Amino acid sequence: MRPKWRRPALISALLLVNVAAAGAPGAAEWATGSNTLASPESFSAMTDINKRSAAYFTELSKVLTNPRCTNCHPAGDRPRQGDTTRLHQPPVFRGKDGFGLESMRCPICHESANFDPGGMPGHAEWHLAPREMAWEGKTGSQICAQIKDPKRNGNRSPRDLIDHIGKDTLVGWAWAPGSGRKPAPGTQKEAGALVEAWVNSGAACP
Amino acid sequence: MTKLALTINGRGYGPMDVRDDLTMNDFLREFLGMTGTKFGCGAAQCLSCVVIVDLPDGTSHTNPTCVVSAASFHGKKIRTIEGHAEDGQLTVLQKAFIEHFAFQCGYCTPGFLNEGQVLLERLARTPVARADLETTIAEALDGHLCRCTGYVKYHEAMRDVILANSRRFLKDG
Repeated sequence: MRPKWRRPALISALLLVNVAAAGAPGAAEWATGSNTLASPESFSAMTDINKRSAAYFTELSKVLTNPRCTNCHPAGDRPRQGDTTRLHQPPVFRGKDGFGLESMRCPICHESANFDPGGMPGHAEWHLAPREMAWEGKTGSQICAQIKDPKRNGNRSPRDLIDHIGKDTLVGWAWAPGSGRKPAPGTQKEAGALVEAWVNSGAACP
Repeated sequence: MTKLALTINGRGYGPMDVRDDLTMNDFLREFLGMTGTKFGCGAAQCLSCVVIVDLPDGTSHTNPTCVVSAASFHGKKIRTIEGHAEDGQLTVLQKAFIEHFAFQCGYCTPGFLNEGQVLLERLARTPVARADLETTIAEALDGHLCRCTGYVKYHEAMRDVILANSRRFLKDG
């Protein structure tokens, strides 16, 4: 004779399996709940300018902590790949200038544009961000402090960041990463608008 | 379609029209019938597909062919495994690989030979200290995957070729 508890337990188990089988969202979605970017206008109800400024950056962090960005802003000397941020295979290293060791420069495989038949992302300036611009493993708050520091952001002013994030074509690759890769949230234009709103509101950090 | 003209093993090819989505590996193997360059993983991880690219400054490097377009080789001078032996005469490195029984199925061997050749040419330009030899060989061959051999005999073959010509390849030869 079957125990009375078996049927409810079985139904619960089946429900859990179905939820799990639906697939867990990527890291960025799980953390922020969306693959879109809110517009600066959507924060207009926040009357405290510092809090609104910090909120702009929190929204922008969805991009800055996305694997499309952090894979080439690594904490160490090896880039990462994919949404799982596994170590880059074949094993390649930063080298002296971020473009790889002499025997395996990034442009050897990464052409000036994506090459989808080979699954190879590309850009004419494909390389690692400098060590001082490492974002891997950092929170939005930590990245904020780093991105405002001229010693760690390539000597950029806050105004320079608007163009860098909003218009730089290597940064822009994050939104056109080639087949098989999920783009960063929103669009580059939307990210640029958030940076501009953040800068104009005092560049407060969350 | 894109125009492609390049030099392979000292012989000019093209200009010819090739599809934009044609990989260099397919160009060599399917278009030209040069099947010495292998297709292994298709993800630039096993390095069995590499060819040697000769640069204008006299240096060379290996280049995967499975994930890059044929068009990206326009204007370049490359060497494939077919270009190593001359008039049936094997290179010193090829002979060493045979003598050491360095390969079994041979699928990864063209990649190892190309990489090894680049290393020998680099050492001839810039010799290393004998104390750094093992690391130099290991770093050069790093990334080339072999399912058969366990890599030891490839390494030993390289070492023996270098030590047999130590005055040429080693600072303290």
